[in-house]
Amino acid sequence: MKSNFKRTGFIFLCVAPAVILFAIFMVAPTFNVFRLSLYQRSTFNPNEVFIGLKNFEMLLKDATFIRSMQNMLLLIVMVTVFTMATALVFAGILTREKLRGQDFFRIVFYIPNILSVVVISGIFSAIYDIDRGLLNSILNLFGQEGILWKGEQHVIMSLVIAMVWQAIGYYMVMYMASMSAVPGSLYESASLDGADRVTQFFQITIPLIWTNIRTTLTFFIISTINMAFLFVSAMTGGGPNNASNVALLYMYNQKNLGGGYGYAMAIGVVIFLVSFGLSALVNKVTEREILEY
Amino acid sequence: MKKFFALLLALCMVLSLCACGAKEEAPAPAAAPAEKAEEAAEPVTIKVAAIETAYGSQVWVDVAAAFEAETGIKVELTTDKNLEDVLTGPMQNGEFPDVVHLATGRPAGLTEQLVKANALHDLTNTLSLTIPGEDVKVADKIAGGFTDNNIVAPYGDGKTYMAPMFYSPCGLFYNAKLFEDKGWEVPTTWDEMWELGETAKAEGIALFTYPTAGYYDAFMFALMNAIGGPEFFNAITTYEEGAWDSENGKTLLNILDKLASYTHPSTPAQANNQDFTKNQQMPMNGSALFMPNGTWITGEMADYAATLDNFAWGMTAVPAAGTAPYSFCWFEQAWIPAAAEHIAEAEQFVAFLYSDAAAKIFASAGAMQPILGIADMLEGENVMFYSIYDNGAKAAMGGFAAFGEIPGVDVSGTFFAPIDSLVAGTITIDDYAELVKTNSALMAAAKLS
Repeated sequence: MKSNFKRTGFIFLCVAPAVILFAIFMVAPTFNVFRLSLYQRSTFNPNEVFIGLKNFEMLLKDATFIRSMQNMLLLIVMVTVFTMATALVFAGILTREKLRGQDFFRIVFYIPNILSVVVISGIFSAIYDIDRGLLNSILNLFGQEGILWKGEQHVIMSLVIAMVWQAIGYYMVMYMASMSAVPGSLYESASLDGADRVTQFFQITIPLIWTNIRTTLTFFIISTINMAFLFVSAMTGGGPNNASNVALLYMYNQKNLGGGYGYAMAIGVVIFLVSFGLSALVNKVTEREILEY
Repeated sequence: MKKFFALLLALCMVLSLCACGAKEEAPAPAAAPAEKAEEAAEPVTIKVAAIETAYGSQVWVDVAAAFEAETGIKVELTTDKNLEDVLTGPMQNGEFPDVVHLATGRPAGLTEQLVKANALHDLTNTLSLTIPGEDVKVADKIAGGFTDNNIVAPYGDGKTYMAPMFYSPCGLFYNAKLFEDKGWEVPTTWDEMWELGETAKAEGIALFTYPTAGYYDAFMFALMNAIGGPEFFNAITTYEEGAWDSENGKTLLNILDKLASYTHPSTPAQANNQDFTKNQQMPMNGSALFMPNGTWITGEMADYAATLDNFAWGMTAVPAAGTAPYSFCWFEQAWIPAAAEHIAEAEQFVAFLYSDAAAKIFASAGAMQPILGIADMLEGENVMFYSIYDNGAKAAMGGFAAFGEIPGVDVSGTFFAPIDSLVAGTITIDDYAELVKTNSALMAAAKLS
């Protein structure tokens, strides 16, 4: 009995630091976000005025907020679709096929992931340059007129390209890890039955790494929300005229310039709920029977 | 070996913590008065925070040292390029510096937030202090117009809450050599401007470009004055009802619309913090003629200018459109937080910023204090730039009146950012007029004075 008590005490002591830190730095601030969203408060004035759901009411009428949410959702969808498709195909090729310089490709694809966002935005600033940029030079070669890549019309597409380029390597490595665990015998018997490579990919590889794909989908949603803030801050600052503004950046700017702390926290609550809801929805929709091998 | 690495890592952590906490201490003054003061009483230490801009941080170290030598009051100096990030946390916890040098109009808007929160100390009395080491009063030394505009006196009650600091005439910058070669005259009215626009267009040169839409602030303020004088400027910047519908308002919209059509089409796509220098290169390399900017541009683009053969900076005021050519006078501000610990000593420091000794130190880095007789300290291209007011241009000063928090509405997003869309053709001038009128009404309702 005594030793059991000792053991519990020991475990308690071991866990306590992490739990306390987690409570102070994660749980308490999150509750505070929800609480402050119901108040009117400026950053340097400690006076808080309770205004109920008025901040949320105003959010619904705020055209820039709606635009920034739309941009955020558009980025989540586009970046997820393109990154997942390319990463899966590359991972499939690099694990199943015998290519010369396989390791070289692995490293090349992964490099963008270890670069800082500021460096990436610098690289893409050169690629998107209107007169001397890589893309417009190629277009000019074919007699096409150059595109204003960071102009209002194309700015979201430009962000998607940069974000996909950055993310492919990371997800490719994750998919490769689970693909290499799929037994080779399954592919052998499939090819004896006459299944070609594409059929094998869709009938064997994808179903067997489904759990992994589901996990990465949640990653996609959370990381795109965060990465969009970084990419947009570094590449466009939300411009031109809010065409590339995203919800997190809008929240950050409203804290300083527009509606104050309370309003910014209300935006935070909406982002929190949307990302949570989206993750739950994706999780539910992609539910399948887990295949064992 | 493992232990060694563990130790090394631990050491790195401790060092990085120390580095975070380190502050720039001003070197101890060598002069005698400080020692005398120390004997009399425990010297007070004031905390001074200054933004590090193109002028560097050494000027602040030198000024702090000179102040210590003069008064015996010790200075704990913090300078940082992102001063807002350094100050926001402690200030939210109630730890305020005694003096802050940080201009309005920056993206983080820290100074504006304090104006909104009524958290600035009233400096009206400071203006009547005698400058330490001199027998002149502060107010007698500051040039006219700098202490009674709506930037430093944001509540319209005649009280000054910010001390005007380094000023810079803003205007339209161009390549003087290009004008010389082509035999073009620099326009002084908007009619001449449009004429030049057509001439340049025929040669494949755009009339206008801008670094980012935010640069429209100084340009638009000068333009408002050039259209209807200070009355019209005040009507727009205090959100008077009907100001945008008046004759002058229509002229303003008309010029903005026409100018957008003469703006280089690549401009909005490069009008962000990463690519704005590409826009600034346009007037230099002959892709465009004019851009609105300030005197700091010469330092900012010095490297690029060195690569050009046929280039010399020229600067002109915003052409007249009813009154006279105007040049907006942009200046930075220093202020004392209302919650500062050592108000009296902080006021001494602010007063000292206008001493000849301090002005000389600032001028050595190109930072010009708005004090009488500063013209004697000018050098190089600055002589030409700062003489703009002697050559027929009138000075415009001030900005949009302060207003409380309005969710989703701010000055830059209302008046300047939509210019990007106007140039790109995604909105019309009527959309722009609608937006500024709607938001002006909201700002008028939330005005602080």
